[in-house]
Amino acid sequence: MELIKNDDSTWTLSKVSELEHLMLSRIPESADPNGCERALDRLYPSPIAPDAELDSDKSFDLENDWDEFIKPDLRVEFKDALKIVADDLGKSIMTREGDLNLYQFIIPTAHANHWCSALNQARIVIHHKYDLPDEDGDMDMSPNPEKWMATLQSEIYGVLMEFLIKKVLWIN
Amino acid sequence: MFILESNVEIEESPQLDVDVLDEVTKPWQVMILNDPVNLMSFVTLILRRIFGYSEDKAVELMLKVHYEGSAVVWTGEREKAELFVQQLQSHQLYAVMEPID
Repeated sequence: MELIKNDDSTWTLSKVSELEHLMLSRIPESADPNGCERALDRLYPSPIAPDAELDSDKSFDLENDWDEFIKPDLRVEFKDALKIVADDLGKSIMTREGDLNLYQFIIPTAHANHWCSALNQARIVIHHKYDLPDEDGDMDMSPNPEKWMATLQSEIYGVLMEFLIKKVLWIN
Repeated sequence: MFILESNVEIEESPQLDVDVLDEVTKPWQVMILNDPVNLMSFVTLILRRIFGYSEDKAVELMLKVHYEGSAVVWTGEREKAELFVQQLQSHQLYAVMEPID
């Protein structure tokens, strides 16, 4: 997989293998936290620091306001990002190189933040859903296949995020 | 209400509730808590973007979060703190706030 910044308006994700294509196509469903309380708590946390010295009335008011006004906005923002990425994923171009099918995506630069958001949402949900280890290299040596795939998926999303951050979004 | 000799009526200022005044003026701090998923480069980018910090300062704060478990990234009035926490959470950073005594 290669990421090239074409100009200020588009970037291209090219030489995407079948496996990488499969992983990318799973971004929207993988970012769905429903059914995983830990992922939901992490994506929509309380605004109050765990050890904050705040009396219960004030804490209750802030939590309530957050639930009523902020969390719905966050849900919409996260969902919008996933929708944009899903649309971009539907526009892949397939080419053949020898025996290999390779895919290419040409993506507007304006979507780069949405891609980062979608990839990050998916990484957070995968981490909590599959209870992945906190530190790199702590992987169980004989994990179940689902957990192994989840780790690989999260790693690929992380690599793509690094590309995007350094090549498209970085502030010079 | 005071009535002046010239018959101009001036409304008495309401007494400010000291607790309310305290609540409004008391500074709050915005913190980022460590998270095993967020990439270091992502945290740095978001800190630069939201607060306008230099790359050096953003990296320093990101490393503090990573090694110490949390970092105070901004201090000021409550309303702005809420806005910053919302912005940070909209990038899936683990952001929270608390009043400073």
